Amino acid sequence: MVHPPRIMSTIAALVLAVSVVLPPAAAPVPAPAGAEAILAEVRKPGAGAVLVNVWATWCSPCREEFPDLLHVARELAPKGLRLVLVSVDFAGAEAETTRFLTSQGVDFRTFVRTGKDEAFVDGLEPQWSGAIPATFLYDANGKLVRFWEGKASYPVIKKRAQKALDTKEIR
Amino acid sequence: MTRKSLLAIPVLFGFAAFAALAGGALPIGATIPMADVKMKNVDGKELDLAEVKKPAGTLVVFTCNHCPFAKMWESRIVELGNTYAAKGIGVVAINANDPKVATDDSFDVMQQRAKERGMRFPYAVDATSNLARAFGATKTPEAFLFDKEGKLVYHGAIDDNGQEPSKVENAYLKLALEAVLNGGDVPVKETKSIGCGIKFRS
Repeated sequence: MVHPPRIMSTIAALVLAVSVVLPPAAAPVPAPAGAEAILAEVRKPGAGAVLVNVWATWCSPCREEFPDLLHVARELAPKGLRLVLVSVDFAGAEAETTRFLTSQGVDFRTFVRTGKDEAFVDGLEPQWSGAIPATFLYDANGKLVRFWEGKASYPVIKKRAQKALDTKEIR
Repeated sequence: MTRKSLLAIPVLFGFAAFAALAGGALPIGATIPMADVKMKNVDGKELDLAEVKKPAGTLVVFTCNHCPFAKMWESRIVELGNTYAAKGIGVVAINANDPKVATDDSFDVMQQRAKERGMRFPYAVDATSNLARAFGATKTPEAFLFDKEGKLVYHGAIDDNGQEPSKVENAYLKLALEAVLNGGDVPVKETKSIGCGIKFRS
């Protein structure tokens, strides 16, 4: 008889072996988008709340916040949370952006902003000063319920996202 | 001091604290805040905004060494600063970032950058980040221009195209500087650009 813990450790070893052999799926190259396209993504039906995060590969607080954002997004996705990632990396940085997203395990469509700064900033949210990282939280109706500049921690992001999810029903 | 004026102190202090907490940038028409706070300049000497202030007008630019957006506009900031300092505008670049968070924003690197870029105006340290807080500056680069009366007449971006200087359509800060020098109206008073969030000292 095989001892249960041994089965577990065998499975764990297999999982580890496979994960070592197979590289993580490459993240899709971010799609160019202006503020309107990002807001259209926010208002797409089906979400109970939407987090929009504006970041860049060279922005250290953005990179530090990234795993926490993804952690919250993965945990709350079953409850209807949608994460929309918008890079403000410069033209020509697509490979680096995609490499970073891949390293973070992002396997969904993300965006890179296009157009002039002011149109993008004010088009997305007039209260936003333009500083990154910036995170915008919308309810199920696509209404902005909260936004913050600078990084937030996992418990803070989770609490805020949970609150936005709790207040509205899924569209 | 009268009892009334004594009472006014906590009220005023409370208002300042509230304004700082509530955030929001210095409104158009405001005067230079915290003009007596000493900052260390790259030449090793101390200066405050009262010393920077000139009768023709005063330009304060929050910038830094590490941020790609600040770097993108850096040569334009230096060119504008040098040109308009020579025309009588008081000019200062201020770095409010905590170098513990952004190591490239150390004083040594500031000295190096000022020299390399040929800045002919002070590049000083906001050692508590409180000046940036008082201005309501949130990112780098971010410009504040005060007119002859010392009133804020322009706040925001250097121009409308960081990435491609040849494609700038609105050189906002330059237009504002010209207006201040010539006594005209600043055409666009508030603009925005995307920038690196200031790494405020706690």
